[in-house]
Amino acid sequence: MGNELNRRSFLNAAVSAAGLVAMGPLLSACGGGPAQRAGVGSEAALKAVLPAYVPNTSIKPDIASVAGGPDVLTNPGFLSYPTNRVATVSGVPGKGGKYSAVTPLWGTIPPADNAFYQAMNKALGVQLEMKPADGNTYNTIIPTMTASKRLPDWIQLPTWWNSQMNVGGLVGNQLADLTPYLSGDNIKKYPNLAAIPTSAWRTGAWGEKLYGIPSFATGFQIAGLLYYRHDVFDARGIKADQVKSADDLMNLGKELTDAKNGVWAFDDIYRYVYTSFGAPLKWRVDNGKLVHLYETEEFLAALDWCNRLAAAGYVHPDALAGDNANGNTRFYGGKTLITSGGTGAWNLADSQSGKAANPNFRRGGLNVFSADGKSEPRVYMGAGASIMSYLNVNLKPEQIEECLAVANYLAAPFGSAEFTMVNFGVEGTHFTMVDGVPTATEAGKKEVQAQTYPFLAAAAAAVSNPGADVVTKDYTSWQIANVKALVKPVFWNMNISMPQAQATADAGQQVEDAIKDCYHGKKKVSEVKDAVASWKTSGGGDKLIQWTNDNVLQKHGTGQ
Amino acid sequence: MTTTTTARPDLTRRPARLSWRVRLRRDRSLILMTLPAVVLLLVFNYVPLFGLVTAFQEYDPLAGVWYSTWAGLDQFQRLFGDPLFWNAVRNTLYLSFVQLILFFPVPIALALLLNSVLSPRVRNFVQSVVYLPHFFSWVLAITIFQQMLGGAGALNHFLRNNDIGTWDVMTNPDTFALLVSSQVIWKEAGWGIIVFLAALAAINTDLYEAAAADGAGRWRRLWHITLPGLRGVIVLMLVLRLGNALTVGFEQFLIQRDAVGYDTADVLDTFSFYYGIATGDYSYGAAAGLFKSVISLLLIWGANKMAHAFGEDGLYRK
Repeated sequence: MGNELNRRSFLNAAVSAAGLVAMGPLLSACGGGPAQRAGVGSEAALKAVLPAYVPNTSIKPDIASVAGGPDVLTNPGFLSYPTNRVATVSGVPGKGGKYSAVTPLWGTIPPADNAFYQAMNKALGVQLEMKPADGNTYNTIIPTMTASKRLPDWIQLPTWWNSQMNVGGLVGNQLADLTPYLSGDNIKKYPNLAAIPTSAWRTGAWGEKLYGIPSFATGFQIAGLLYYRHDVFDARGIKADQVKSADDLMNLGKELTDAKNGVWAFDDIYRYVYTSFGAPLKWRVDNGKLVHLYETEEFLAALDWCNRLAAAGYVHPDALAGDNANGNTRFYGGKTLITSGGTGAWNLADSQSGKAANPNFRRGGLNVFSADGKSEPRVYMGAGASIMSYLNVNLKPEQIEECLAVANYLAAPFGSAEFTMVNFGVEGTHFTMVDGVPTATEAGKKEVQAQTYPFLAAAAAAVSNPGADVVTKDYTSWQIANVKALVKPVFWNMNISMPQAQATADAGQQVEDAIKDCYHGKKKVSEVKDAVASWKTSGGGDKLIQWTNDNVLQKHGTGQ
Repeated sequence: MTTTTTARPDLTRRPARLSWRVRLRRDRSLILMTLPAVVLLLVFNYVPLFGLVTAFQEYDPLAGVWYSTWAGLDQFQRLFGDPLFWNAVRNTLYLSFVQLILFFPVPIALALLLNSVLSPRVRNFVQSVVYLPHFFSWVLAITIFQQMLGGAGALNHFLRNNDIGTWDVMTNPDTFALLVSSQVIWKEAGWGIIVFLAALAAINTDLYEAAAADGAGRWRRLWHITLPGLRGVIVLMLVLRLGNALTVGFEQFLIQRDAVGYDTADVLDTFSFYYGIATGDYSYGAAAGLFKSVISLLLIWGANKMAHAFGEDGLYRK
């Protein structure tokens, strides 16, 4: 049962549905109205308030984390569910307070006031009224709440919607400042929160203050990677780790494509391959000068390569026709053998879906490579967390402390007694142990949803796929093999609020459209160049670069 | 000629107007019955019209309509200087025109054909079959087209296996107008015949018998009885179609935009979506939407005037 892990696949789906890159709040925009907005603060001031990091050592994973550079850490892996469920919180955290909480949920909403909620309220010592809302329309209900200033006491605002939900304008006005409670050593009062890596707290910080409580923090956040069919490669004797350059990949396209039998080597891969050509994620600083992705030669080289890949006939025609929704179906069915996507795709549910189509299905990840085969392979890091909850500014200090104590309970590490309660419910009622795996009962399936309490606070991410150890091993070993390739992009993990005109230019819709047509083989690279030229002049691109240089780079540095 | 006026009956005179009180009492139940629909219309169609003010602002959802900065005609200035906008206008008009030529006559022809089928069983069967696609969503309809005509679809699979070369209809920008028209025909023609069938049923069958007795053949009866009987409805539908010339559909283009590219598939509605809503530039999207509404209003007014000029009812009797 992949309750705890299904969130990963939905995150992936939700992010692509929202049409945004899963890189967290790298750049978040808001309108240019009169409301006060928070943005990036001074680096030194922010460093002074960031919470202390005290890792939790009570539960040992089967596959330990491996550190890369600063803030880079692979996720720990668990092959079996811990039998000795350590309690990390003594007593009941709450003092009987009453709170309402709204979270998005991609799935069936559990019945209100059910036995699981009641058991949780008892364990937490508060009356926490859970109001999960449909995740697919979540971004449309939040603006109505914020416009009428009627946010609940505790709310989940995923960071990929930061600009749409205008979080930069809400912090301090409608969302509580948590700095006095969590900064520096203050967080040690909440040991499970203190075990959340610092980079995730930075993701929830706006203008030198802490606002967000991160869930599923990770030191290995990347936009995604290239996936391949491990089983098919094995059967044909192809060694995936020998793909070391763009040419290797192109040759693989020729070898694998068999259009007569309905098999194409590739699905859409541009979004996860352009940085291999040395292009920046979005910004680069060349000799002190801020350069946008669209202005770089490497970006055009990447597009040209993808355009040739499409022209050569190695990309599935449905992908070229813009049908991304069925990308997984094509991959499961062996119609495409190399695809791309977020890391969230690599989990138990995926393995089950794949095996339903083909019992041999096994997902593999191509190692990060550099296009020329000579440069250092690099992949850019995203923010430290993308699930972020906030407390209402109207709560009194003692209420905020009570909620943080509750958050501390919810953030208990993988396999602890509290984690088991939050994710699986009461043993015997909501789950039973079957072959060492917590397995939901009928009541559990109905009432316990991984996307309710963990969306208010949760421990740093751990990899666990009960019943599919090969997935856990494949994924963690891929992370370990590539941990050295992770580098921080310019403006890493900085929350930037920009005026509407810049935000529009930042979205660069006309260029993004041209890019898509180009890697689908319908537009030439020169036409993208034209689109970039008009974006720079009439589309506000030059002004965006100027604005970002003056207001972000000069004032706050690169954040790297 | 004498000037004495005899009490000539005034043929145009209407019965004496009743006072509103009396009429209210008389039509009370009818008015009550329309009330929910009127309220619905007010709440969902008229009240939101106030939101149009955002087209003249730098609308900020957080600040709300009341506190957003006033921008005057800035958004429209930007809009009229935007080549992508004019591209969308051009595509909309072109697609609308192609659909008018290719799609509009199809339901009429289909209705006439169905009407000539005598066996009620065959007629009901055919009608159900052609109806059905209307209830499919565009996602499904386009998926079916993709499965049939797409690069990996049935047609190309056949062509490829017989080494005839491939023909990817779904991603060809040059034939896009034909593709979307055929999709519309497949999906909506069956639904469109309902109104024409109703009009056909209203034609007095005695006329046909009398004409047949006078020796009029099939074509003469079609020409002199059926088509004149349908004329009012055809003109009404045409007026509505012209008024909606700038509304060629949304989902259909949204879904296929990536397949043929934005410069072919962007229509006014998708333009508002991508360059207004998707990038958070709400005021810009609102300005494009308002422009479209104003032109549509002019079109429907003009078409209705024309219908009256030709002696037809149009949308309402003059």
